[in-house]
Amino acid sequence: MRNYIIKRLLLGVIVLMGVVVITFFLARVIPSNPAAQWVGPRATQEQIDKATIELGLDQPLYIQFTKYLTDLFKGNLGFSLRTKQPIVNELKTYLPPTIELVIMSTFIAVLVGIPLGLNSAKRKDKALDHFCRFFSVGAVSLPTFWVALFLQLIFFRALNLLPLGGQIDAKLKLIYQIPNYTGFLFLDSLISGNTIIIKDVYRHMLLPAITLSLYPVGLVARMTRSALLEILSEDYIKAARSYGIHEQKVLWLYALKNSLGTTVTVLALSTGYTLVNTFLVEAIFSWPGVGSYIAGAVVSLDYPAIIGVTLFSAFTYIILNLFADIIIALDPRVRV
Amino acid sequence: MNKKLSVFLAIVLILSILAGCGNNNTTQNTPTQEPLDIAYYAYNSEPILNWDPSVMFSNGIIILNNTYETLLRFYPDTKEFEHVLATNYEKSEDGMVWTFQLRKGVTFHDGTPFTADAVKFSIERTLEIGQGASYIWDPVEEINVIDDYTVEFRLSYAAPLDQIASSPYAAFIMSPAIKDYPSDWFEAGNEAGTGPYSLENNSMGDEVILTKFNDYWKGWDGEHFDKIIIKKIPETSSRRQMVEKGEADITLQLTPEDIEALKNNDSVKIYVEPSFTNLIAFFNTEKAPLNDINVRQALSYAFPYKDVVDYAAGGYASQSIGAIPKGHWGRGENLFQYSLNLEKAKALLQESGIQQNELKLLLTYMSGDEAERKAAELYKAELSKIGVELEIRAMPWESQWEMAMDPLPENRQDIFIMYWWPDTSNPYSWLYSLFRTEESILFNMSYYSNENFDQLIDLGYEKSGIDIEEAENLFIEAQSILIDEAPAIFIMDKEDVWVTSSSFSGFKYNPSYPNVVFFYDTYRK
Amino acid sequence: MNNLYKSIMPKIKELKTNIYLLKRNRLTRIAYYLVLFLLLLSVIIPIILPVEQHVYQSTNPSEKLLPPSAKYPFGTDELGRDLFKKVLLGTRISLQTALSAVGIALIIGVPLGAMAGYFGGFIDEIIMRFTDIFLGFPPLLLAIAVAAFLGPSLQNAMIAISISWWPWYTRIVRGQSVSLKERQFVKAAKAIGTPSYKIIMKHIVPNSIAPVIVQASMDIGGVILTIASLSFLGLGAQAPVPEWGLMVSTSRNYFLNAWWYSIFPGLAIFITVLAFNLLGDGLREILDPKTRNN
Repeated sequence: MRNYIIKRLLLGVIVLMGVVVITFFLARVIPSNPAAQWVGPRATQEQIDKATIELGLDQPLYIQFTKYLTDLFKGNLGFSLRTKQPIVNELKTYLPPTIELVIMSTFIAVLVGIPLGLNSAKRKDKALDHFCRFFSVGAVSLPTFWVALFLQLIFFRALNLLPLGGQIDAKLKLIYQIPNYTGFLFLDSLISGNTIIIKDVYRHMLLPAITLSLYPVGLVARMTRSALLEILSEDYIKAARSYGIHEQKVLWLYALKNSLGTTVTVLALSTGYTLVNTFLVEAIFSWPGVGSYIAGAVVSLDYPAIIGVTLFSAFTYIILNLFADIIIALDPRVRV
Repeated sequence: MNKKLSVFLAIVLILSILAGCGNNNTTQNTPTQEPLDIAYYAYNSEPILNWDPSVMFSNGIIILNNTYETLLRFYPDTKEFEHVLATNYEKSEDGMVWTFQLRKGVTFHDGTPFTADAVKFSIERTLEIGQGASYIWDPVEEINVIDDYTVEFRLSYAAPLDQIASSPYAAFIMSPAIKDYPSDWFEAGNEAGTGPYSLENNSMGDEVILTKFNDYWKGWDGEHFDKIIIKKIPETSSRRQMVEKGEADITLQLTPEDIEALKNNDSVKIYVEPSFTNLIAFFNTEKAPLNDINVRQALSYAFPYKDVVDYAAGGYASQSIGAIPKGHWGRGENLFQYSLNLEKAKALLQESGIQQNELKLLLTYMSGDEAERKAAELYKAELSKIGVELEIRAMPWESQWEMAMDPLPENRQDIFIMYWWPDTSNPYSWLYSLFRTEESILFNMSYYSNENFDQLIDLGYEKSGIDIEEAENLFIEAQSILIDEAPAIFIMDKEDVWVTSSSFSGFKYNPSYPNVVFFYDTYRK
Repeated sequence: MNNLYKSIMPKIKELKTNIYLLKRNRLTRIAYYLVLFLLLLSVIIPIILPVEQHVYQSTNPSEKLLPPSAKYPFGTDELGRDLFKKVLLGTRISLQTALSAVGIALIIGVPLGAMAGYFGGFIDEIIMRFTDIFLGFPPLLLAIAVAAFLGPSLQNAMIAISISWWPWYTRIVRGQSVSLKERQFVKAAKAIGTPSYKIIMKHIVPNSIAPVIVQASMDIGGVILTIASLSFLGLGAQAPVPEWGLMVSTSRNYFLNAWWYSIFPGLAIFITVLAFNLLGDGLREILDPKTRNN
């Protein structure tokens, strides 16, 4: 097992390095004139020349790569073409709202997805199972951005129950002066204990979180179902049943517990999906997160920003998957 | 039990979601301070990306015109100047020497008193950096401080310095103390002006919060806002809803459909204001067959002016007459206007030896602009009827511009659509930037060059500060050349439609300062 | 060629059986016919309704944003064009782009997988670590980044998708190829001195193609969704091309007054992707030996 973990870690490092190489290629090798792209078209020849030297574009490729790598290690992702601010600072500003959203929708996914998958496995080929199959395939077939508009039409336009977008009413935020404890608005408002603010922030969060949760709900339900089906056909379950242990206990205690490995993997996977889905959804909800940031960067071709977000998201995804694999490996039931 | 549990979970979930719904605000929390009067401007793009008042040449005017002031402010409807930081000014007969008396008792936000040195410092700094709209000060040869409250400008050629000093860009007066601040002081988001509001908080590219400057020279008697929020809300429908629900106080750039829907709504006020923004389509006159005047005229006759005015702009525009928009001096009311005439267009194309389905053109416009996109699609439909294929490409402004500046004319677009608005209130602002011969390409997207035209407008500019009527005639004569040679289609003069909440009062739009709300004049009622 | 034919014939028979099995499940049967119908639409519609005439020239702004009616079943868009026709014409664009993208991904992925499995050792290691790296990106992310750097157009979106999709096929083909390598006919070919590239092209690829084709057909739904997403972000089709994702994106400015503008193109995406995914799901069920006997 230890060998497996070491191997898995090594692979993780290789993949991380590979992702860095790919983004390096995107940023430096594909464009015909990366220096001009880096400083933006309004630049003078002088600025371009300066950038050529700064980026080391006059150097051989391997030296450029080394520099790119050391910059990354120092946490230097370059400067945004639009705002001229360091990308790292921008990510720090835009990350907390996105993280809150991703956590919230993953929470919904677990809350809905696991019971759905469990019941579906229990009643295989019954109506509920068919519904579950349709729902989970349906959920991954929905264009997220369209769901966002659809929910806005219903909950805002038709029913007028929830706000159209934003993270908080900007005037409320100024009036009540929420202290910045953690940088996470929802958490801060909870700590402040101001019910008006908590409610406002929560209401703003609901629609985007539900929109984002659909995809993982489908994924979690489906994986839970297939994992359970496999486990339910195992001998020890059959044995437990034959001993007359209550069916619910079999299902929840033995079977579900043993399918947790799968669920952990699925959650890691779906968190990565959700993170990228925020790119499509945040802008619609005027949510001030990384998703809106990259959607804006894509429209204005802010290349350093695109690279920055790409690197960040890929790293998060790889590390999540790595954790999932290691947690599973540490599970004594799994024979590697 | 399992069934019960899942039902229970479902109920908990639904309840917790519903708890978020509903609008009752029955809570006993009180604000931490006395109630503030806050104004909220929902803006369609980044409110500001460059805090340096010498350099900023874009959206940032909506902020900087509230934190900084200029010597004068121009009112195009009366053609008069309001004295802001200057109390009076006079010019010499030949328009070469201008003397400004300055206001006493004004302080910058950093506490520095405002004097003639600050004026000299600000404008020299702007000229020295030489970016953005700094070229407006080009006529200035030297600036002399006569005494603490008098400053004299000596020019190298006659120019309307009052118009220059009231420009929305590059004419801001800043505290001379900034020369001792670190070089990235502005970059980090700071300001040092004399305006009514000072910067409280700024998240770059997203939200700016201004707060009233207690020592503002006009004082704070009467009704004013304490704080101003200016926030980027790119989604049109969100901006509309925010104003409709009273969350935001003022916004612009809604779709004509939204404005139509809001017309009979008592919770908002709608202001339809002339703007000095016009939409122009530039032909690449350096590329065959667009180097042929007949072809350009043909393409000008194929443009659906009326549909574009009525539907792309929702009727909040009028077809342009020449390059100068409605309401601005220098507009030639009697100049020729092209109109949609496909027969004529076809005949002109044939005359130039262009066959059906032979001509393929590429049009670029700025991605995200609905009116430009609609205009382009309507144009494509008409061109397609006379056998011309139009490819439409949405590009970020930077890329659109970069393509237009390609060294080889063949690699550039055929038709370039963009808006233009003035940097100073002078026709030269259009005619010079857009059509005067350029050594290296900047904004002359037709790559147009005509010596006769150049001479006319240069002369017109020099006369502007001395004899405005003569200047006007020269500018109109120059525009008649543009209409004959058709280097561009003058599509429409836009109107700006502002939507405000019903309690937002005191707003009066000044089209010389595009998109700017002077918040000091506004209040809640 | 003959060889290829021989090796493919039994697969076709197998396919027929599989289609029969597929249709046994009601949901899958519906999906199956729906997919056939969509494919048919995408071939016929552009012939009946040439896009030039029915979209590009058909602006009629005095009838803009009309709600659904007998004349305009899906209503009209902001320039008065018939949304029903636009949505129908979008079928071709989505299916064609998706099939091409998967096709390119197969062209890259299959030979690489065959080589990895056949040669093994160092080559295998290199190729497979490469696929690991590409799979290290969350789906959609790499496509977004590549499309942004190539510049916005439908064609570039297609290339971007291929670049992020090929590793899946490499993995499958490699697995097949590893077992094929040990089979008698491959060993025989090797023994008589057939060059490696010929063995790969003649024996390995044809015999490992079936599962990869199945996987590819299951992927079509996801690819269509990705194309729509890229267009929605402004990295795919350009106006006035009637692409569904682009239509939903444009509709954002109008949807609060004109719900039909967002709803119908979005439904078209949903139904198409759902049909392909249900079919793929059905395929998976019947091909999975664990569930097959049920």
